[in-house]
Amino acid sequence: MGELVQKVELMGSDLPWLEGLREKGAVFFEKQGLPTAKTEAWKYTRPRDLLADDFILPPLEEEKENACTCGEHCTCGHHQREGEDFLLQAYVIDFENGALEHIAHNLPRGVTIKPLIEAIYEDDGIRKYLNKSFDMEKNPFAALNTAYLEQGLFITIEKNVMLDKPLALVHHSFSCHENLMFHLRNVILLEEGAKAEIVEYYNYSGNEKSRYFTNIVNELYIGRHAELNHYKFQDEAFKAVHIAYNAVKVKGEGRYNGFCLQRGGNLARNETHVSLTEERAEAEINAAYIMNGWAVIDTTTDVEHLAPYTKSTQLVKGVVGGQAKGVFQGKIHIAPMAIKTEGAQLHKALLLTDEAEIDVKPELEIYNDDVKCSHGAASGELDADQLFYMRSRGIGEEEAKQILVDAYLQDVLEKINNQDIKDWLAAKAKLAK
Amino acid sequence: MTTEQEKPEIADESGDKYKYGFVTDIASDTAPKGLSEDIIRLISQKKGEPDWLLERRLEAFRFWQKLKEPTWAKLSYDKIDYQDLYYYSAPKQKVAPKSLDEVDPELLKTYEKLGIPLKEQEVLSGVVAVDAVFDSVSVATTYRAKLAEKGVIFCPISEAIKEYPELVKKYLGSVVPYTDNFFACLNSAVFTDGSFVYIPKGVRCPMELSTYFRINAQNTGQFERTLIIADEGSYVSYLEGCTAPQRDENQLHAAIVEIVVLKDAEVKYSTVQNWYPGDKDGKGGVYNFVTKRAACRGANSKVSWTQVETGSAITWKYPSCILQGDNSVGEFYSVAITNNRQQADTGTKMIHLGCNTSSKIISKGISAGRSNQTYRGLVKVSPNADNARNYSQCDSLLIGPDCGSHTIPYVENRNKTAKLEHEATTSKISEEQLFYCQQRGIGEEEAVSLIVNGFCKEVMQHLPLEFAIEAAKLINISLEGSVG
Amino acid sequence: MKTPLLEIEDLCARVADKEIIKGFNLTINEGEVHAIMGPNGAGKSTLSHVLCGKPGYEITSGTVRYKGKNLLAMAPEERAREGIFLIMQYPVEIPGVPVTTFLKHAVNAIRQHRHEPELDTMEFIKLLREEGKKLGINPDMLKRPINVGFSGGEKKRLEALQLAILKPQFSILDEADSGLDVDAMKVVAEAINAERTEHNAMLVITHYQRLLKDIVPDYVHIYADGHIVASGNKDLALEVEEQGYAQFLKEK
Repeated sequence: MGELVQKVELMGSDLPWLEGLREKGAVFFEKQGLPTAKTEAWKYTRPRDLLADDFILPPLEEEKENACTCGEHCTCGHHQREGEDFLLQAYVIDFENGALEHIAHNLPRGVTIKPLIEAIYEDDGIRKYLNKSFDMEKNPFAALNTAYLEQGLFITIEKNVMLDKPLALVHHSFSCHENLMFHLRNVILLEEGAKAEIVEYYNYSGNEKSRYFTNIVNELYIGRHAELNHYKFQDEAFKAVHIAYNAVKVKGEGRYNGFCLQRGGNLARNETHVSLTEERAEAEINAAYIMNGWAVIDTTTDVEHLAPYTKSTQLVKGVVGGQAKGVFQGKIHIAPMAIKTEGAQLHKALLLTDEAEIDVKPELEIYNDDVKCSHGAASGELDADQLFYMRSRGIGEEEAKQILVDAYLQDVLEKINNQDIKDWLAAKAKLAK
Repeated sequence: MTTEQEKPEIADESGDKYKYGFVTDIASDTAPKGLSEDIIRLISQKKGEPDWLLERRLEAFRFWQKLKEPTWAKLSYDKIDYQDLYYYSAPKQKVAPKSLDEVDPELLKTYEKLGIPLKEQEVLSGVVAVDAVFDSVSVATTYRAKLAEKGVIFCPISEAIKEYPELVKKYLGSVVPYTDNFFACLNSAVFTDGSFVYIPKGVRCPMELSTYFRINAQNTGQFERTLIIADEGSYVSYLEGCTAPQRDENQLHAAIVEIVVLKDAEVKYSTVQNWYPGDKDGKGGVYNFVTKRAACRGANSKVSWTQVETGSAITWKYPSCILQGDNSVGEFYSVAITNNRQQADTGTKMIHLGCNTSSKIISKGISAGRSNQTYRGLVKVSPNADNARNYSQCDSLLIGPDCGSHTIPYVENRNKTAKLEHEATTSKISEEQLFYCQQRGIGEEEAVSLIVNGFCKEVMQHLPLEFAIEAAKLINISLEGSVG
Repeated sequence: MKTPLLEIEDLCARVADKEIIKGFNLTINEGEVHAIMGPNGAGKSTLSHVLCGKPGYEITSGTVRYKGKNLLAMAPEERAREGIFLIMQYPVEIPGVPVTTFLKHAVNAIRQHRHEPELDTMEFIKLLREEGKKLGINPDMLKRPINVGFSGGEKKRLEALQLAILKPQFSILDEADSGLDVDAMKVVAEAINAERTEHNAMLVITHYQRLLKDIVPDYVHIYADGHIVASGNKDLALEVEEQGYAQFLKEK
C-alpha cells in the first residue's frame, strides 16, 4: 500500500501529548489500511488512486513562493471572488493548498477563530473536543488526518451569540506541485443557544488536471438550543481526491442543518455522522451532487438517535452523467431508549448517459418499537416525453435537459435557508461546468 | 460403519407452543460424526452414486475447507463445530420402498401428525403431490404415476441422479455453483437428498407439488437439495414446508434450491418455514442457512418466491432471481416473523441482465420479544438490461420495546433506462388502532392478530389457499404472548 | 321512574401532568339524549376517551357507573361489549384489514358476550349488505381496508354502519373539533336517530349547535374548564350559538 504516512516535522512536535496522538493516528491508519472492496463502509467507493505512494505534504512557505508557477492561470485564493457574491456578505477565512492564509478581522463579539495549532499551544479548552467525536479504529481517513494534525481551525461561538453573517471557509488549491496532500481539521463549538452559518468552499485553479488529495475532518459540537447551518460546496479539480468526514454531536433541542453540493473531483466523499445525544435534538442532512467525466461521488450519512424525541430528515438528490458513478449510503440508527423518534430519508438519482452508474445503500437500524422511520430510493432517467415536448417548442436539447435537471434539484436546493447561498449553489449546480 | 441410533430423549415441552416439537421413534442408519473425504465417500457410496457426482462432492469439499464462515449478516450465534455433527442419517429400511405400503408405518404416522397425509386416497381432491424428506432422505413421493402421464418428473433427487443423469448433470450446480458461498459449498459436498422436478415443454403441471422437510435425528445436519427445471412454456407451483422436533441443542440446516426457468415458463415457489425456533430464552432451535436461487434463462420466463418465515433460531436466506431472458419477471413476497430470541437476516437479490426485465419485492417483517430481524436485499441492473424495472417495498412492524428491526437494501444501477423504486417504513401497532378495535368489542390479542394479518396481507394472498390458511394460523401462534 | 344508565360523579382525569377533567358530574338515564357543548380545547374529547377507556389518561378521582357497574374497572373491549359505542370524529386507518373482516370479528365478539350465537359468514354478509344498503354504502367499500383512503363522508358512513350493526345501548358521538363536515354528519345523525329508543341513551359532544338540529337533545350542558358550567334544555344551545361561550366562561 501507499506510503501515505510519512515522517515529517510538524508544528507542535514539542508537545508530547500531541505527538502521541499523531502517532496513534498513524498506527490506526496503518492497521486498517486503505479501504478495499471488502470494506463494507467503502463498498462502492474505492480510493484506488491513493494506492500510488506519491503524495506529499505541501512544501514549506519559502519554497512555495518560488515554486508557484501557475502564471496567468493563477487567480489564487482570496483574490478570486467572481460569481461568489455571497462571500462579500460573509466573514471569510482563506486557506491555500491546505494552509491557513487569512482570517477575517471584524468578527463580532463572542466569536473566536484560531488556527488549530495556536489553540493547541494555548491549550485553552480544545483538548476537551479535539479527536473526541469519532472512532479512529473505524475511520481510516480520520486516523490519517490525526497523524498529520496541524492545519485547521478552532472556532468557538459563545453562549447565545447569533452570528449575523456566515463564516466562509474557502479552501483554494492550485497546482504548483503535483500530488500534494492536505489534511485539515476544524473543531467547531457552538455553546448553548448559539446560532451560526458556516460555509465550506473547496475550489482550485490552474491546471484542471492537477492531482491532489484533500482529507478533511470537521468536529462539530452543537450545544443545547444551539443551531448550526453547515453548507458545503466542493468543486475540486477532476483528478483530485476529496474525502471529508463530519462528526456532529447535537445536544438537547439543538439543531444541525447540513447541506452539501458535490460537483468535482475524481473521487469525492462527504460523510456525515450525526449523534443526537439528548432529547429533542434534531438534524437535517440534505445533499445534491451533479457529475460527469469519470468521477465517483459519494454521499454517506449515519444518524444516530440516542435519546427520546429526536428527529432527523435527509433528502439527497443526484444527477449522474458521463461515465460517472454516484454513491449514496445512508443509515438511521435508533437506540433502544430513543423512543418517540422520527427518522426519514429519501435518495433520488437521475442517470443521464448509458455509462453512468448509481449505487445506493440506505439502511435502517432500529432497536425500539416506538419510532417512526422511513426511507425511500429511486433512480431513473430524464423523461423522454418532456424533453421532446420542450424541443418541439424550440428549446435546444442541452437547454431542455438543464431545465429538467433544475426542476429535479429544486426541492433539495429549497432546503437551504440562506437565500444568498441558495442562489450561489443553484448557479453552481449546472450540467456544464 | 453404521451405528444404530436409539430412541432420542423426549424433548421437554415446558411452556412452549411449538406443536411440531415431537420426536419420532424410529431406527436410523447414521454415519459417524464429523466431516472428511471418507464420510463424503461413504454418503456417495450409500446412495450408489456415479463417480462424476462423487468427484463434484470432493471438489466442493476441498474448496469448502478453504472458505471462512461469513460474518456479514446481523446474526450472532455460537460457533458451529462442523466436526461435531452427523452428516448422514436415514430411517432404517431393509430395501427401498416400492410403494407407499412398504413405507415404515411410524414414518407415515409422523407425517400424518404434521398434517401431511402421504396415502394418496386420504388426500382429498388429489391437488397436491408430496415428496416427504425425513432427515437426510426422501421417504415417500405421492402421485408419481399420475404426474408421469403428463411427463412430469417428481422424485427424490437421489433417484433422479440414477434415472435422469443427463438432466441432473446438466443443471445441478448451474444456478448455485459450489463456489457460491460457504453454506452452499458445504451442501454441495454433503447433500443427501431432496426433490427433483422436471416439467416438460408446454406442460402445465396438473397439481401443486410439495416437499415436506422434517429433521428428526439428533445432532444431525440436514442438507437437502432441490432442483426444479421448467422447460419451455411450462408451469408449476411448488410448495415447501419444514418442521423439526423441539430440542435443547441447535440443529443445522443448510439447503440449496436451484430453479431453472426456460423460455415462456413459470415457476411459483412457496415456503412456509416453521423449523423449531428455540424456546423463549433462546435455547435450542434450528440454524437455517439456505441458498435459493432461480435463473430465468429464457425470454418471458417468470419466477415468483413467496415465503412465510416463522421458525428457526437463526435464518440466513436470500431467495434470488437472475433475470437473464428478455422480458423475464422475478417476484419476491416475504413475511418474516421473529419472536423471543429469534434472529433472521433475510431478503432477496434481483439481478437484471436481460432487456425489459422486471422485478418486485414486497417484504413484511414483524419483530417481537427480544428478537432481531434484518431485511437485506440487492437490486442490480447491468449495463445491458435496458428498461429494467424494480419496485421494492419493505415494511417493518415492531411489537414491544426490546426487539430490533433493520433494513439494508442495496441498489446498483448501471443502466439509465432502468426505473427503480424502493420504499421502506417502520411502524408499530399504534395505540389508536388497538383502541379502535377494542372500542368495537375486539379483544387485544385478537386485535393484534387482525392488524398483523392485515399488515401481511399483500404477501399472504400470493400463497396457495390451503397454505395461506396454515400460514395465517402460524403467524398467530408465533406472536402469542408478545403483547400485553 | 327513570333508570339511570350512566352516572358520573366527581370525575377528575389528567393526561401526563395536565389536569383536563376537574370534578365532572352527570347522570344519563335510559332513553335520554344529552349534548355537551364547549369551546375548543376544553377537553371534550378527553371525556369521551375516558368513558371508553382509551389508554393514556389517568383517572385521579371520582366514579363512573354504567348499568350500576364500575365502568372504570373495565377494559375498553368489555365496555364495548356492554354496549358503549364511540362514534369517532377521526377514526383510525388499519391497513390490510378489510371492513368485512373487522366487523365480523367485532359483531361476533359482542354476540358471544351477550350469549347470542355467532353469525356465520353468510348470515353476516347478509346483515352487512342490508344495513349497508340503508346507508347508501357501496359493497366495494366493504372490501377495502378499514378507513384507509376513505373520504370524510365514507368514514362517517362506516361509523354509522357499525352503529347499526353493533346495536349499542349507549352511544357517544364525538364531534368535539370545530372541523365539522355538515353533510357527512347528516348520515350519522339519521343513523343515530334510528337507534333512539326508550332504553338507549346518547351523549353528543360538539362545538356547534348546528349538529343539534339533526339530533335534538333532551338536555344541553355547557362544558368548560373541565366540568359542566351550565345546563338546560335545547334552547341553551341556541343561546350559545347567538352569544358564544364567553358569558359562561366569565361567570367563573
